[in-house]
Amino acid sequence: MQFHFKLFGLFCGLVSVFFANLLIGATAIDLSTIVAALFAFDADIYDHYIVVYQRLPRALIAVYMGSMMAVGGHVMQTLTRNPLASPASLGINAGATLSVIICAFLFQLDQQALGIAALIGAALGFLSCLFIARATGGDQHPSGLSFILSGTLTSMLFIGIAHTLLLSDPVKREDYLDWVMGNINHVYIERLDSVWWVGLGAGIILLILARPLTLLALGREKAASAGVPIHIVTWTALTAVMVGAGSAVAICGPIGFVGLVVPHMIRPFFGIHLWAALPASAMAGGSVILIADIISRTVFTPYILHTGIMMDLVGGLCFAIIVRKYYLKQGRQQLS
Amino acid sequence: MRLEKSLDQYYVLQIAGTVSIRLSYLITFLILSVIMIGGSLLSLQIGEITLSGRDIWQMISGQHDLSDSQVFALETRLPRIILGFLCGGAVAMSGAILQSLVRNPLADPGLFGFSQGSMVVIMLLIVWIPDFPGYLLPAAALLGGCLVALFILWFSGGRQGNMLALLLIGIATETCLSSINAVLILYAPDHLSYAISRWMAGSLFGADWQAILYFLPWMGASLFLALWLGPKLRIYELGEELAMALGESVPTSRRLILLSAVLMSSAAVTAIGPLMFLGIIGPNLARFLTAANGRAFLVLSAMIGGILVIGADMLTRSLSADIALPVGLSLILIGVPIFILVCRLRHLRYDG
Repeated sequence: MQFHFKLFGLFCGLVSVFFANLLIGATAIDLSTIVAALFAFDADIYDHYIVVYQRLPRALIAVYMGSMMAVGGHVMQTLTRNPLASPASLGINAGATLSVIICAFLFQLDQQALGIAALIGAALGFLSCLFIARATGGDQHPSGLSFILSGTLTSMLFIGIAHTLLLSDPVKREDYLDWVMGNINHVYIERLDSVWWVGLGAGIILLILARPLTLLALGREKAASAGVPIHIVTWTALTAVMVGAGSAVAICGPIGFVGLVVPHMIRPFFGIHLWAALPASAMAGGSVILIADIISRTVFTPYILHTGIMMDLVGGLCFAIIVRKYYLKQGRQQLS
Repeated sequence: MRLEKSLDQYYVLQIAGTVSIRLSYLITFLILSVIMIGGSLLSLQIGEITLSGRDIWQMISGQHDLSDSQVFALETRLPRIILGFLCGGAVAMSGAILQSLVRNPLADPGLFGFSQGSMVVIMLLIVWIPDFPGYLLPAAALLGGCLVALFILWFSGGRQGNMLALLLIGIATETCLSSINAVLILYAPDHLSYAISRWMAGSLFGADWQAILYFLPWMGASLFLALWLGPKLRIYELGEELAMALGESVPTSRRLILLSAVLMSSAAVTAIGPLMFLGIIGPNLARFLTAANGRAFLVLSAMIGGILVIGADMLTRSLSADIALPVGLSLILIGVPIFILVCRLRHLRYDG
């Protein structure tokens, strides 16, 4: 029962940030115009045009991206039992990025095929992260730390290769450079239109699996003795996360930070039960990206900073803080 | 100099008093040297103009009436090969040092953010001071790498921080710095952004005797430091607590070891750009070939790293001129399949 109020609060927060995102921009548009633009659209009024064709698409993409990444991060942190896991730090984002770049530059595929390429790439990125962890004999580590190392390594490698491939065609490079850096742009709305159902499906699957996943968080043996089919649940959940995150990357490029940090913000309020925590993560993730979008559009005027770049910078700082919290204190205790 | 059987039943070559080398390491080293020399000679032949074996023989036997294509090969290909070998060796040795230090086979100068730190400083110099003297660039890169190392040490709690935290804070620093790189790539003018990306992909096109001359002092200094610290790394491989118990002054020597790793990686980054993944592949191959540790491990890793870069350069030049494959990419094309193969073989060796 108590979760309902918190979830409702988060929902109100999301809605208000959403409208704030529509309000704030190069020209401030007041609330009544926005409501009028949304419900009684008049193509002749310039402000209506801006709201419906520029700001609304941006906001929708931001919400989709944020919720997919946050949910993915939450599930990944539950499964690996590591506070540093997220779609970005396990190679999923980088895999999707590289796959899209390879298909666009070497095979000249169209937009629809690139979406599928992103999904496959997300899976390949995660699998190569698993492979490197296993190949170097690190997968025995109880807290899944070697997955983080191999995931970071895979990401660096894939992003590096993607940048190298970009060099092969200077004209196309201009088009894709923005996307590779993680950019929320209203022209990407067609892509959202063609993949939104993927994310919705992934979210529903994860919600159905919420109970067994929560049991898995207690430990594999305990979950198994409670009757959870561990392998099926783990791999279904992983697939859902990869597909969800991959579809988000297909829209606006890799954006980190959210998947890493939002679960840490949600957990103190919602505990480990994923049934309530996953929707909460989704809403909080959406809000965080909406706020980041506002900041990146307004703080550095007349320049517009890419949301992905800003999130990388903040994400690195938060990564350091989480490391300090989870790993350094333990280290001190061991030494003293 | 004589051959002996040591206490642990390995054959050991005794040289002048206390210095001794295990025979298996020496043989591996000799085999790698043969591969290196053979690869270099082959690499001299391959390219836009193909030379025959006799041309190469004339070149090394020191004849004076060389044809144009032979002079061309001496002036452009030989520096590339030498610089490639040295840089590859430096990156691989830097990876080996870090892996021994943190006792994790996935440590790498890129993962620690050292290469990123060097790159950010060099890029800022390229963007702001276009006519910065070239011979000072390694110093600037070193400064960037050292700043990162200092930050990591400070943030992971100075003397008390453990090695794992060092690595994780390194990852965090790397993420932050790469976002700064991204800003530079995205907002610099088009030609500059293209040039920066090219350099980040790794390139040996700028290699000439002058570049080697700039690179050599840094390489020499770091090699000296690394070989001096080599025996300490054997102690670190036992773990930090045990190293302390064995009388190693961990805070001091850890800083020195990090410094030597930074020196190597930053010199290589300045010369041909960050070589992705080489810091992982080189040491892991060395570990697969022998059970070396300490100095022998460092030297063998460096040899393997250098040979891989020579191979990558050969691949780059054997393709037609239309496909300007950066060395970094051909290095991955060569190195990653070998890495995967070795990992599978190692699994078989231990499981079967």
